[in-house]
Amino acid sequence: MAETDMAVDIVSAPARSPKLLVERARKSFRQASGAEVSAIADLSFSVKSGEYVAIVGPTGAGKSVLLDCLLGLKYLDAGQIRIDGLPVENFVRDRKGHITRIFQEDRLLPWLSATDNAAFGLQIQGVAQAERRKQAARWLDAVGLSAFKDALPRELSGGMRQRVNIARAFAPNPELVLLDEAFSALDDVTASRLRLDFKTLAQSQQTTFLIVTHSIDEAIFLANRILVFGAPARLMAEITVPPQAWEDRAVSDRIKDEVRSLIVAGARPG
Amino acid sequence: MQAAGDAGRDIVTIAAVSGVPYDAVSARSPRGRSLLSRTFRAILPFLVIAVLWQTASLFTKPYLFPGLGSIAKSFWAILTTWELLSQGLVTWLRLLVAVSASLVIGIPIGLAMGLSATCDEFLRPVVKFIMGVPALNWVIIVIIWFSTTELRIGFVLIVLCTPVTVFCVYDGVRSIDRKLTDMVLAFGANPFQHIRLLLWPYVQASAFTAAKLNVGNAVRTVIVAELVGAPLGIGKELDLAKNVFDMPTVLAWTIFLVMMALFMTQGIECAERTMLRWRGESHGRN
Repeated sequence: MAETDMAVDIVSAPARSPKLLVERARKSFRQASGAEVSAIADLSFSVKSGEYVAIVGPTGAGKSVLLDCLLGLKYLDAGQIRIDGLPVENFVRDRKGHITRIFQEDRLLPWLSATDNAAFGLQIQGVAQAERRKQAARWLDAVGLSAFKDALPRELSGGMRQRVNIARAFAPNPELVLLDEAFSALDDVTASRLRLDFKTLAQSQQTTFLIVTHSIDEAIFLANRILVFGAPARLMAEITVPPQAWEDRAVSDRIKDEVRSLIVAGARPG
Repeated sequence: MQAAGDAGRDIVTIAAVSGVPYDAVSARSPRGRSLLSRTFRAILPFLVIAVLWQTASLFTKPYLFPGLGSIAKSFWAILTTWELLSQGLVTWLRLLVAVSASLVIGIPIGLAMGLSATCDEFLRPVVKFIMGVPALNWVIIVIIWFSTTELRIGFVLIVLCTPVTVFCVYDGVRSIDRKLTDMVLAFGANPFQHIRLLLWPYVQASAFTAAKLNVGNAVRTVIVAELVGAPLGIGKELDLAKNVFDMPTVLAWTIFLVMMALFMTQGIECAERTMLRWRGESHGRN
């Protein structure tokens, strides 16, 4: 009986495994002076499928390095990252476009129209031109840019370019979307409008979101859970954001105070 | 997606408020300036030189400063006499082949140097060395190496133009925004996609710059190469004219050569404007 239980447990393990698992991750860099600087120090956390998890922390907490590692652009020195139970390198290699990143700056290719920029991830996946343009047009429509499908990036405002950036991240129908300070380069009015549109759009998708941000307000607004990082990247605390916390001033203020004090405690000296 | 729809209406408002109005752009554009005034300013220096030249021709021997009329007559003869015009076309064809070949050879080398530190370390000294050899030395070398005239001229032109292409493309690759490279790789692009979708559009811009520089390079060099025993081409015609002190013909061919270079550069710029429309024509103005 015990053997049978174990067998069932092993078989069902992948189904119950988290979408993203970061386990005892370490990463350091050697500076030009030869000194070794730790970017990620013994970091462990997990994200369940469909969760919206925000990562906040002081500057230099290795958040962007972690995102690079999640995309297979950088490798850990120790520990592991698993997505759907697969080592991240295998996941990225075998499922192109299943993780996408919304960058702080739009990073649109200046020679491509809004449609072709939005279709970029699909092009990398090898989707036929007609199909990828159709899907890109649908996403541009969803982000409110249907009238600017043929516009070049230089013909769009900053907010519009960021909308194309969002459409590009959603178009390949990703399983995991990484937001890297996605709204911080915009003015307050455009950023809050875009955050709202993003949340509406995100809620219509069966996708998991990892949101790296400096803004505690943004974390409370977008996420179900906030991971507070110290510098170098290590998990200092995990805070669950209650539903509608954003609308309850007292709750959001309490979370903000808590997160702020943790960030101050976790910052690198100097 | 009502929210997105609403946002769409908002975006139109944002664009209308913060976008640069097209009328303002056209009002500031060079197109708005008087064409006549610009043309006059462009030809004024040449008019001054022409007046000075014509004045000098009245007081000197014709083989030193021939009159403008005799130069124009020689130039017209070049344009209307097939035997002469064909010599110009032969030189033009050599320039065209050399500039094109330097792109075909130089672009992959520049790309390789830009992408790989090992290639860069290995090839850079070689390219720099070749670049340092004067054109006349190459002419002497090819006379010893090759017996075919076309091969001699072609080699000299290509060997002088290719390093320029290599360094233009190399700089183009190196100047690509690292953030764009990260974006392309973040979407899982393989090396081939990386080159095709990101590097190639940037390299095109560098290749156009190289082609324009090489037209000037090649025009300056082709005559030197043709003067040394070419049976056809402007170099041969200049050699013949020199032997009989026919200064009007020498000057007519010189003008022909300069105009040929200008037309080639104009053609390249025209292709550049078409292919690189995305860059706009702001010239630093926003």
